[in-house]
Amino acid sequence: MSTSIGLRLRNALDSDFAYLFLRSPVAVLSAFVVIVLVLAAIFAPLISPQDPFNPIELNLMNGFTPPGTPNAFTGESFWLGTDDQGRDVFSTILHGMRISLFVGVSAVSFALLLGVTLGLLAGYVGGWTDTIIMRVADVQLTFPAILVAMLIFGIAKGITPVEYRDQMAIWVLILAIGLSDWVQFARVVRGATLVEKGREYVQAAQLIGRRPGAIMLRHILPNVLSPVLVIATISLALAIIAEATLSFLGVGAPPTQPSLGTLIRIGQGFLFSGEWWILLFPSLTLLALALSVNLLGDWLRDALNPRLK
Amino acid sequence: MLAYILRRAAQSVLVLLVVGLIAFSMFRFIGDPIDNMLGQEAQQEDIDRLRTELGLDAPLLVQYVRFLSSAVQGDFGVSYGQGRPVADILAERAPATLELALVSGTLAISFGIVFGVFTAIRRNGFAAQAIMSLSLIGVSLPTFLIGILLIYVFSVELGWLPSFGRGETVELGWWTTGFATRSGLLALILPSITLGLYQMTLIMRLVRSEMLEVLRQDYIRFARARGLRTRTVYFRHALVNTLVPVTTVIGLQLGSIIAFGIVTETVFQWPGLGLLFVNAIQFVDIPVMAAYLMLISVMFVLINLFVDVLYFFIDPRLRVDRSEASA
Amino acid sequence: MRQIGMATALCALMGTHAVAEEFKWAGTTDPQTLDPHAVNSAPVLGFLNNVYEGLVRRGKDMTIEPALATSWEPIGEGEGWRFKLREGVTFHDGAAFDAEDVQFSYERASGEAADTRSWFSPVASLEVVDPYTIDIKTNAPNPIFPDSIANWMIVDKGWAEANAAATPNKEEGNFATLNANGTGAFKVTAREPGLRTVLEPHDGWWGEAEHNITRAEFTPIQNPATAVAALLSGDVDFINPVPIQDAARLASNPDVNVIQGIEARVIMLGFGHEAAELKYTGDAGKPNPFQDAKVRQAVAHAVNVPAILQTIMRGNAEPASQLVSPAMRGYSEANAARPAYDVEAAKALLAEAGYPDGFSFGLKCPNNRYLNDEAVCQGVVSMLAQAGITAELDAMPVQNYWPELREDNFDMYLLGWSPGTFDAEHPLRFLASTPNAEKKLGSWNFGGYSNARIDEMLPIIQSEIDDTKRQAMLDEAAEILQDEMAYVPLYVQPLVWGVRSNVEMTQRPDNFFILRWVTVN
Repeated sequence: MSTSIGLRLRNALDSDFAYLFLRSPVAVLSAFVVIVLVLAAIFAPLISPQDPFNPIELNLMNGFTPPGTPNAFTGESFWLGTDDQGRDVFSTILHGMRISLFVGVSAVSFALLLGVTLGLLAGYVGGWTDTIIMRVADVQLTFPAILVAMLIFGIAKGITPVEYRDQMAIWVLILAIGLSDWVQFARVVRGATLVEKGREYVQAAQLIGRRPGAIMLRHILPNVLSPVLVIATISLALAIIAEATLSFLGVGAPPTQPSLGTLIRIGQGFLFSGEWWILLFPSLTLLALALSVNLLGDWLRDALNPRLK
Repeated sequence: MLAYILRRAAQSVLVLLVVGLIAFSMFRFIGDPIDNMLGQEAQQEDIDRLRTELGLDAPLLVQYVRFLSSAVQGDFGVSYGQGRPVADILAERAPATLELALVSGTLAISFGIVFGVFTAIRRNGFAAQAIMSLSLIGVSLPTFLIGILLIYVFSVELGWLPSFGRGETVELGWWTTGFATRSGLLALILPSITLGLYQMTLIMRLVRSEMLEVLRQDYIRFARARGLRTRTVYFRHALVNTLVPVTTVIGLQLGSIIAFGIVTETVFQWPGLGLLFVNAIQFVDIPVMAAYLMLISVMFVLINLFVDVLYFFIDPRLRVDRSEASA
Repeated sequence: MRQIGMATALCALMGTHAVAEEFKWAGTTDPQTLDPHAVNSAPVLGFLNNVYEGLVRRGKDMTIEPALATSWEPIGEGEGWRFKLREGVTFHDGAAFDAEDVQFSYERASGEAADTRSWFSPVASLEVVDPYTIDIKTNAPNPIFPDSIANWMIVDKGWAEANAAATPNKEEGNFATLNANGTGAFKVTAREPGLRTVLEPHDGWWGEAEHNITRAEFTPIQNPATAVAALLSGDVDFINPVPIQDAARLASNPDVNVIQGIEARVIMLGFGHEAAELKYTGDAGKPNPFQDAKVRQAVAHAVNVPAILQTIMRGNAEPASQLVSPAMRGYSEANAARPAYDVEAAKALLAEAGYPDGFSFGLKCPNNRYLNDEAVCQGVVSMLAQAGITAELDAMPVQNYWPELREDNFDMYLLGWSPGTFDAEHPLRFLASTPNAEKKLGSWNFGGYSNARIDEMLPIIQSEIDDTKRQAMLDEAAEILQDEMAYVPLYVQPLVWGVRSNVEMTQRPDNFFILRWVTVN
């Protein structure tokens, strides 16, 4: 009745995974966009005309240059214009995406690992383990992400040596977003585990003496993965967006090394002032990234689910 | 059943204590309230005196015990920022947040389930695909940006809807409602869309995914084979069986609608608890922050309890587990 | 002819009181209390200036003019000041105003619980001569005393005592925190802290009303974009401040006017003068270069202030050469020139000081205190980089910022200063004097700058009656500070207000919004 994910994946790849993929234009397009954006982010230092994180390369007099028009003072021209600091918007988007992707992927991986493990344990083992884990989850849920971020930020500030403060903000974000996200995974996995646990195949496995760890990993986990995948997909896009929201509330990536979200936060200040490009281009990039990740996730879920074929 | 609820209640008290302690230990990282309470010409002696008067020089645990002992008597202290009892402030702000949460929660659940079922049944139809894609655009942008864009389009450019606040409210005893006036209802539209959009998409996608799963299962096929009407199959059998994970998520999301309304309330200057909390952070208004977090914890604990009890009724298989566990 | 007469009559009729005019406005911060003696902060005092009055008040051009006192004169050779009080004034609740209320308000505002007590440190005593005359004796001759009490607001003794609000209470709040009873042109008719405050005209006000408002409502709106949207959509009639970047766009909108001016606040860079070592970045632990005046001068030359004004401030601010703006009393005309932007000069000075290859350090900056503060700091970082010194920027909300500065956690920092007395003596006392808690000097001199000559001159400046001699000393102090570049003054912060075009009002340089100067057409 149940197969391991590895086996399922291999089967899919062998037989119709590639076929299914090529047959879905949405999947191909999304995958293409995601790959282009990820590559652009990885090779940002090579592609971008300017290093927006290096203050020496910036000239304030270049500030607010519209896209494609030479600056009135310096005569320099920028493809997507510049922001208030005279930074090339195209370069900031590439570098910002790097940070956003890194934060998003790390935070979701962290949340997923933590949440699935704890959810499985809570649902399968039950009793006090369940009680403690779920009550910890209650505590966790009580704290809005912004507060978690501020708490970790404050503590981190106290314990990190000053020379590492620069990188600190990013790790704080990963930890804060990851911590506020794991509960979702845990609760859904626990709920599904409770259901699966009562099924005959699990009881059969117990009867033949398989160890609980093996049962959880090999039998229950694959069967609770569908909702987890749904959540993980949205979570990745969401983590990138959550970072933007934290930035809006004042605890995001530092403005000297802006993420995509921080760029949008900065850009929204220019919505009424006429410098539309500072907001529009980072927003479109975020939209394209989040949308394709979500669409790809949708497709992946259907493709990985043998029962939907 | 009763024993189960009682046990949960006892655990909940423990949860509240822990939340309070964590909350207290983090306040000092948020900043120093003294600077907000004194002007620029204050001297060190004024600062020290005020710190003593507020009890901020006491050890953390002492401060916490002081807070708890008055909190159990219903006294949450006096706001540093407003100079009046925190309980009054919370009571004054709660209706705005609850009304907003009610409207956006209702929108999210009803549209989420309807669209979820629809996109599952017409899985490959054009309309279903369009709904799926459009809903994704809504969650691919940060809430604050969606809020500001909505204000830009509907308040500034079109002039149809108010840009901020709750409009005119009517007092019903201690409750103030925006449901009774035209301006109050208009003011609800943009914030509730902003707040509910993400929840709606999440519910819709989850319902769809669970529906697709359930529709594949044997008992649905049997039901169909038995010649039951399609609608009965979809709603009586399929939808009901998707409800375990969906209820979990809805329960969670209802709580987060209130807790994470913070951003929406800030963008729309909505006079609710979230805005109060943001102001309290900016002012380092410790009594307000502590009481707000306590309130939110109580709410989450209740919602969780409610969801667990609901599990009982939705999925009979769980009852066996529970009774074994509590025996 | 007759028609014109009719029209004129109609205009006259509509001009002042005839039409009910409701006025709504929004600002960033709600006044945290209605008690005029509890908190000495601009949002509180600015708001309460519409409700309460002092013995004197400031006019449209900031000059001191009579309010509850009709005239005043020095007593003897600088022993103090005699104030003649206005007769026939009533508080909002109908009680009459006299010298007893002034004495009570003096005790209330100078008591231990009051945040305004520093205003009264020069005062030895207040004596009631008759019900409409009071003498205020000072410890030393104090030429600017009447200027320094424009925000000292008079509270009714009977009302405060009857409502158990005889002393201000910051911690617990009291009746006066939520209610107000002043003599001002407007009375508070509804107050929901953080949400809205409603004002209505005080019928028994002694003055001639210039406004035509029948009801005014204030709402705090934190998010700048929301405030701009509210103004554009007509949901409010006035917002303060307008985000600087939106000023030009708003000005071009026919429904909205932008009122611009220069605030009293000077934005500057401060240094850790006392710290022997740098505290941040890879150079932490190395000797502190900012102890050398040449390095501080290099910083002054390296920062391209015109570029900051041009882009981030959009041409709305003025460059600053000293700790006060030209609008302040005691501004030093002799030191009006600020160091020119000159990267080469900066590099030369750095080389001269022994840092030809530059160094790196930490710059602290608030991100929600001054207009576009974070953007300015970012700009400063990139400009300093051109001169070869690397600043690592740490920007934070103001509630974390002051504790950080107080604990000396900075190598360099951004500070804005608005002199409460509108006099050049004020920043000398708070920013330039050697810190001394006992004498209450230098309480905002976080870097611990110290200069014997300035410490010596300050008490003389404070008691000098002769304006020319006083100005000579203020000039000398300004010159010392400029030569040593104790602080690098950058610019004077602009005031940008946005109003619907059917509203007329006057902007005062202290950023106080005076409702009685508003006309809605």
